[in-house]
Amino acid sequence: MLPENFTAIVARNEPWSGKSASEPYEAGWAREAVIFVRALKAPVGRMPTAWVEISPDGMHWMREGTSLEIPSVKDGIAAARVAHFGNWLRLAAEFEDGAEVPVLVTIHLKA
Amino acid sequence: MSNTQLSGPEALRTALISADPALSRFDPLPRIISLDRFSTGHCGWSQLVGNYEDSLDSMLPAYAQHSSAMLSTLAHWDAGSHGGMDSSYALKVATHPRPGARNVAIKRFTFRKRGPIRFELYFTFKPEATELKLSETDVRSVGFLFDLQGGDRDADAERVMPHIRFLNASDGQFLQKWQFKRRNETFTRIGTDDKTVSHDHLGPNGWEDFPDGVQRLCYNEIPTKVNWSYLRFDFDLETMRPTAFSCNDRSFDVSGFDSMRMPAMKNLWCMLNFCLFAETDVAKRAFLYVDSVCISGDF
Repeated sequence: MLPENFTAIVARNEPWSGKSASEPYEAGWAREAVIFVRALKAPVGRMPTAWVEISPDGMHWMREGTSLEIPSVKDGIAAARVAHFGNWLRLAAEFEDGAEVPVLVTIHLKA
Repeated sequence: MSNTQLSGPEALRTALISADPALSRFDPLPRIISLDRFSTGHCGWSQLVGNYEDSLDSMLPAYAQHSSAMLSTLAHWDAGSHGGMDSSYALKVATHPRPGARNVAIKRFTFRKRGPIRFELYFTFKPEATELKLSETDVRSVGFLFDLQGGDRDADAERVMPHIRFLNASDGQFLQKWQFKRRNETFTRIGTDDKTVSHDHLGPNGWEDFPDGVQRLCYNEIPTKVNWSYLRFDFDLETMRPTAFSCNDRSFDVSGFDSMRMPAMKNLWCMLNFCLFAETDVAKRAFLYVDSVCISGDF
């Protein structure tokens, strides 16, 4: 049997501003993940650096160490590659006052 | 199922099912359409994405909140991975942490024959364990629906959508009852090409109680202890009527049951879709876990 791989859509057309994060996603079966972010519209304001977070329980989060730049143009994409992340994954970012962008956040997992 | 009164091919079939640990817990009809064990992957359960045209902004808000189901070991902060019935994994449908939020997973087929089908699953549900409290009224509901339509040459083709949910709690009231919904929701035109519509058929209004439909399922004693329950729903695609519904040791009267019914839609012929959903009653994520699903038919 081929190894499992799966594309999860964890945030679709969500307006991100202030403190934002994708919903917790369990992926303990996967050995590697690529997290993509696409700006679905032209961003407003300066786009921040987002970071990958891991968690022991899906409720308490810490930075995993990998980051990406939220795209600064419509349909721009960015990706973060992570491995050895345990079970829980999410992407988090903090935007300046007035900065906002609707995002598509997808996690691509492979066993 | 007892084999003692069967003979011939049916006795052999049921004996083979009984001897197969993956199937023995199910009572499938003669043709197994799919057997989903989530240690083997997502098995085709994807997210129910709302309809849109030109822009995702055209999607109804009730659908915009949906996200992908995941493979879970039911990992808990206090006890670790709970696991499934005979593997580590279950399918998990999780809501956002917002009162009334819901999420829906869907599996899509078409059918070959309008006859009996059977939907069986082992499931459980819990709220996210963010509090050291029993939290038994935090999950609003879990449930399932079929989305069906007759064939393109059928004179009586309709789109038919049987909906059933276990209303666990509403506004903090512990209700624990089975409900169905036959009331149609209003269709909204999506976009400008006159090709796409959408309706929030899982909307909160119009649910009706099954007769004697209160059932106290095993919730257990803290938010991180779970027990699997068995559910079965039989439906006849020929008559587009249910024939039986049961959960664990209880069977429920389907004689007064009806589905949402609407004129056949132009691109949905022979549609055979199955959905699983969860709703939260409070600002806390609700989780529907499914250990395994068996969909079968008599054809």
